[in-house]
Amino acid sequence: MKRKYLITVMRILAPVLAIVLSAFISSIVILAIGKSPWQVFYTIFRFSLSRLDSVAIILYNATPLIFSGLAVSLGFRMGLFNIGVEGQYLIGAFFAALAGFTLKGLPAVIHLPLVILCGALGGMLWSFIPIYLKVKRGVHEVISTIMLNYISYSLIHYLIADVFMDRTQKLLDGLGSMLARTPKLPPSALMPKLHGLLGLFGIELPRHVYLNWFFPLGLLMAGLTYYLLMYTPFGFELRAVGQNQEAARTAGIKPERVYMVGFLLSGAVAGLVGLSDLLSYFGYMDLDFPRNYGFDGIAVALIGQNNPFGIIVSAMLFGFLKRGAEGIQTLLNVPMDTIVILQAVMIMSIVVITKVMNDYIKRLEKKEDVRVCSSQNSSLQV
Amino acid sequence: MFLSELLASSLRMAVPILLTALGAVFTERAGVVNIGLEGMMIVGSFWGALGSYYYGPYFGLLLAMAAGMFLALIHAVNTVTFRVDQIVSGVAINILAYGSCRFLSQAIFKMATTSPHVAGLPKIDIPVLAGIEFLKPLVSGVSPIIILALLLVPLTRFVINRTVFGLRLRSVGENPLAADTLGINVFRMKYAGVLLSGMLAGLSGAYLALEHTGMYVEGMTQGQGFIALAAMIFGNWEPAGALWAALLFGFSEALSFRVVEGGAIPYQFIKMIPYVLTLAVLAGVVRKSTPPAADGIPYERGMK
Repeated sequence: MKRKYLITVMRILAPVLAIVLSAFISSIVILAIGKSPWQVFYTIFRFSLSRLDSVAIILYNATPLIFSGLAVSLGFRMGLFNIGVEGQYLIGAFFAALAGFTLKGLPAVIHLPLVILCGALGGMLWSFIPIYLKVKRGVHEVISTIMLNYISYSLIHYLIADVFMDRTQKLLDGLGSMLARTPKLPPSALMPKLHGLLGLFGIELPRHVYLNWFFPLGLLMAGLTYYLLMYTPFGFELRAVGQNQEAARTAGIKPERVYMVGFLLSGAVAGLVGLSDLLSYFGYMDLDFPRNYGFDGIAVALIGQNNPFGIIVSAMLFGFLKRGAEGIQTLLNVPMDTIVILQAVMIMSIVVITKVMNDYIKRLEKKEDVRVCSSQNSSLQV
Repeated sequence: MFLSELLASSLRMAVPILLTALGAVFTERAGVVNIGLEGMMIVGSFWGALGSYYYGPYFGLLLAMAAGMFLALIHAVNTVTFRVDQIVSGVAINILAYGSCRFLSQAIFKMATTSPHVAGLPKIDIPVLAGIEFLKPLVSGVSPIIILALLLVPLTRFVINRTVFGLRLRSVGENPLAADTLGINVFRMKYAGVLLSGMLAGLSGAYLALEHTGMYVEGMTQGQGFIALAAMIFGNWEPAGALWAALLFGFSEALSFRVVEGGAIPYQFIKMIPYVLTLAVLAGVVRKSTPPAADGIPYERGMK
């Protein structure tokens, strides 16, 4: 009983402590370049939260991170480390773009879901390689997914710049050179913004905000993931394998099958990471397509304690920091990379704090066991 | 001439991979997986350029190695003392390196992505050989770090296989419990392995900035820390193996620049070679590789 209570407290306390600790360490960094940490943090809050469109941008920033955090956490839950979300989402985005610009004349109700499905399929396909190698050949998924990330960078570069490059681009006044990008996606493949819905509630967002329906879709995905993990037999198997693979095997669960299905699911969710950017902001895929969402997802999953709802909160935290970073760079001339340092320190402190707390609980338990044992002994002697 | 120039360029490309791969051999033989090597190369390139900018190339090299070791120290504290997941710590190290270098570059050079031009070490002509016309690209105007890196291969091999330190390092990576029972300080050996890897990765980053490019450019490591890990695996956790793998990967790098005009194979596919080969090796398609038995497992006293 006591243990359960302690674990709950710890799960909430650990991220909070990690955030405080990393804010402290970043303050030192800010002081080192002769700026005031108080002013920096104040500006981050003011710049991010004082205006409605800014809040909407935070939610837009958080959207890919929700998917990415969920994808990474699915791996963590079964004891696998999916560093390959990075490559999986790029391949997924490319598949979606391909389905977007090759299929023409479809109504949006068919085209858009098809494009999203292709994104998931692309991510799944790219996650199949490492998990096949792991299950069949015993290759550690960390090394194979790192290698596949780099392979995907080159592959995407080749596909965008050589094979599917849009050669019909119009250049302004015939000046400049053509961009290495795919053809533009037709409107039927694009995700509508949330402006219409929010307008019903009297919230008017300016046009430069790209908050779209992928955000509610991300929330829905978190709910689905929670349901899958907690209320389905497969979710139970997945968690069992993650906690103790050998014990799960003894209980009749095949870890290899769970790894295969779970990792493919993780890859499918990863395939959706880039779609919010692709189907609303860009409308095509080019060489500057955003990178690093996969690595950000690792931080999001860890700070969110691999809990789908925790991931929503931590994705919003990172979306907020990203927005605030723009503020401190423009207003205070403090490099926006302060936030990247903050993020790195946050990852380290959360894992160290969790570890120390876990060890502490284990020690408490041992003490309790000893006490229980000795009291039983004494009662036997009587 | 084309051939010897291609070989010379392969060698120049192979050196940063080789140095970091030798570092990777030290840390992995001690049982600590270090995917933060990429980040340690990044700080090496930045601090190397910074040091050289203010106080000359030798100071740059020292600063680069110190910066690499500093990140390695953080990794060691995380993974050896606190026993957190080695991959998570490595990922965080990489993010920290990327962020801190951008931050400092912005604060010091007023540009987030590049430094001004910095001085490198004086180049060396190898006597006698430099006179032969065919070998000229290979042996004239050579960076001293290239020679150092090549000398480090037999040296690392000697240290790991023939010295007491090397024996202890390997025993800690294979069976820490047994090593602990024999009175070896497991934690100290693991710290030594990780710190050595940070030092070599820092040196490798400095090579990129001072010798290869003459300035710090953001992203100049281009994932070579990961390629170095691949080279170490490809070379079966042995220094000599790492050398051949690094040369092979350097060759494919050098080739990828030269086939742009040829166009038979898109150069992006040639860039994939190191990664695809590593996957093939790990999958046992090319040949079997065996990591140290306790690689990646944190050691805790009183655990079986």
